[in-house]
Amino acid sequence: MDFFQNLMLGLNVALSLNNLFYCFLGVLIGTVVGVIPGLGVLAAISMLFPMTFGLEPTTALIMLAGIWYGTTYGGSTASILLNLPGTPANAITCLDGFAMAKQGRGAVALFMTTIASFFGATVGIILLTLFTPVIAEYALNFRSAEYFSLMLMGLVAASTISSGSAIRGFAMVILGILIGLVGMDSQTSTLRYTFGVLGLLEGVSLIALAMGVFGVAEIIMSVRRVRAADIDPETLKLRAIWPTRDDVNRSWFPMVRGSSIGSFFGTLPGTGPSIAAFLSYAIEKRISRSPKRFGNGAIEGIMAPEAANNAADQTAFIPTLSLGVPGSATMALMLGVLMIHGIAPGPSMITDQPELFWGLIMSFWIGNIFLLVLNIPLIGLWVRLLTIPYHILYPAVLVFICIGAYTSGFSELYVWMVFFFGVLGFLMRVLDFPGAPLLLGFVLGPLMEEHFRRAMLLSRGDFMTFFDRPISGAIMALTGLILVWGIWSGQTYKNKTAQNESSNDST
Amino acid sequence: MEISLDRDRVGGLSLIALGVLATYVAITWYPLGTPQRMGPGMFPAGLGILLVFLGALQFLLTLGRPVSSFKIRVYSPLFILGGIAAFALMIVPFGLVPAIAGVIVVSSMAELRFRIFDITLLIVGLSLLAPFIFSFCLGLPIDLFSWPF
Repeated sequence: MDFFQNLMLGLNVALSLNNLFYCFLGVLIGTVVGVIPGLGVLAAISMLFPMTFGLEPTTALIMLAGIWYGTTYGGSTASILLNLPGTPANAITCLDGFAMAKQGRGAVALFMTTIASFFGATVGIILLTLFTPVIAEYALNFRSAEYFSLMLMGLVAASTISSGSAIRGFAMVILGILIGLVGMDSQTSTLRYTFGVLGLLEGVSLIALAMGVFGVAEIIMSVRRVRAADIDPETLKLRAIWPTRDDVNRSWFPMVRGSSIGSFFGTLPGTGPSIAAFLSYAIEKRISRSPKRFGNGAIEGIMAPEAANNAADQTAFIPTLSLGVPGSATMALMLGVLMIHGIAPGPSMITDQPELFWGLIMSFWIGNIFLLVLNIPLIGLWVRLLTIPYHILYPAVLVFICIGAYTSGFSELYVWMVFFFGVLGFLMRVLDFPGAPLLLGFVLGPLMEEHFRRAMLLSRGDFMTFFDRPISGAIMALTGLILVWGIWSGQTYKNKTAQNESSNDST
Repeated sequence: MEISLDRDRVGGLSLIALGVLATYVAITWYPLGTPQRMGPGMFPAGLGILLVFLGALQFLLTLGRPVSSFKIRVYSPLFILGGIAAFALMIVPFGLVPAIAGVIVVSSMAELRFRIFDITLLIVGLSLLAPFIFSFCLGLPIDLFSWPF
């Protein structure tokens, strides 16, 4: 059968010694990044991005994807043992995970969340394998009008749902698109917004933008604030690692429900693993017969969110790989990897580059097995990482950011770009503008303009083409609904936080 | 340092300024074209106008309420960004190792305390580690030392 042939092809690619090594490296780095708070997945991926230039695109993607889902595994370790979420997606795991650790059941919690993560990821990978080719085949009929509408929906959803204020998110999307337009216009060769700088001919570097807005700005905000963790040796005493029969019985259904919720929200633009984890926790608490146990070490409270965030990590690849429309900033970076290697993302990618698509998917299985092996026996080592003081960590991170930027074009101009985006990222933090929509807009901007111009050309300048075509019209209607809902919920969010928003920043 | 500014208001005004700049540049220097055959100026001009609109909306929403103040970090951005600038200035004339030392020394000052031992340790460690990764493992052509004169 064709399907199994493809799976075997993918397995062949993923099991090559080279790909195995980079997959392992990716999940290892991901685990480290996930464990250390104050080092985000976006900054980590963009820092390691230049190192993948010399690699095959498949290998590069396998490694960067490994970092992405590896952080979610690693993040739960810090949540459980120290009550510090390593990534936002693991924040909710603190509630019951840390409570379990205080009761001396930290090892059980770590063991069980690893199982839940593996289960959630498995469900996500199966859905990814089954649905991505189907969606891609359907999307082969899409024309420029549909693509423009889809990208618009992705951007609107990402900017209104995930961040607090719809206006701020949307403004950052537009700023991102404008930054994306810098350089030579692909259709008329006009130089736009280069202001006489020759090096900007090829546009702004995605890596410099991501490293500046996420990496550098994060460091500026964390200096003298993030402290190395004081680890209480009591919570670290990993007595029994094996769960009781009661633990296992209680875990089964939360894991299934968490995986379903995670898979669904992973595919939607703008939601992703954090929202999936929060929702699945809320649902477990609601349907539980003894909701009082939640917050006091209920195993359901760690199993459901950890299954959900890992499932969402995997299904986030569905729109990215099938349509070429990323739903989150991390997925936008993944698309950036493809584009830098000269591969046009979109529905034809699966048929044009079968080794890449199937190899990547099969590497997810392998990566998750690596994580299982890495996480359970090496827990003690990961925890020790948390004791590295931040004043040692951040200059080292900056050194790698600078070298990464420099080697991405062998010109100090790229380092100056990081500087510029570091300033922008800092100002955005000060003025409370979100960074993720900026990056999404940056990656999608040039594509959107191209599709917009092509659609207008085909329709002879009639703007209604985006609404007359049935699929495009339906997507546009949905976009309108998301926008209205986003503005409405943004207002209520604002009212809630208006009281305690005065000063949350110090010198 | 405390600055008595309303962050929503400043944010709104910044958006308006950026939008005006983007639209002005697009209209003055890039051909607009027609809706059917759009020139390189049409799309960015439209985006700039949208940015002005969003900025105005954010600004207007703040008018009904009292001005809130916020604190802004001064030393952290100064030294962290200064470290990056030091690298950018030193990498070509002096080479990788001096540039690494430059980032570490300048950015460490953001701690507002001079830990001579830790800084030396970092410089030595990273001057060994970075050439190992980038030159030896990845084979990238970077000069470790050079001399401009």
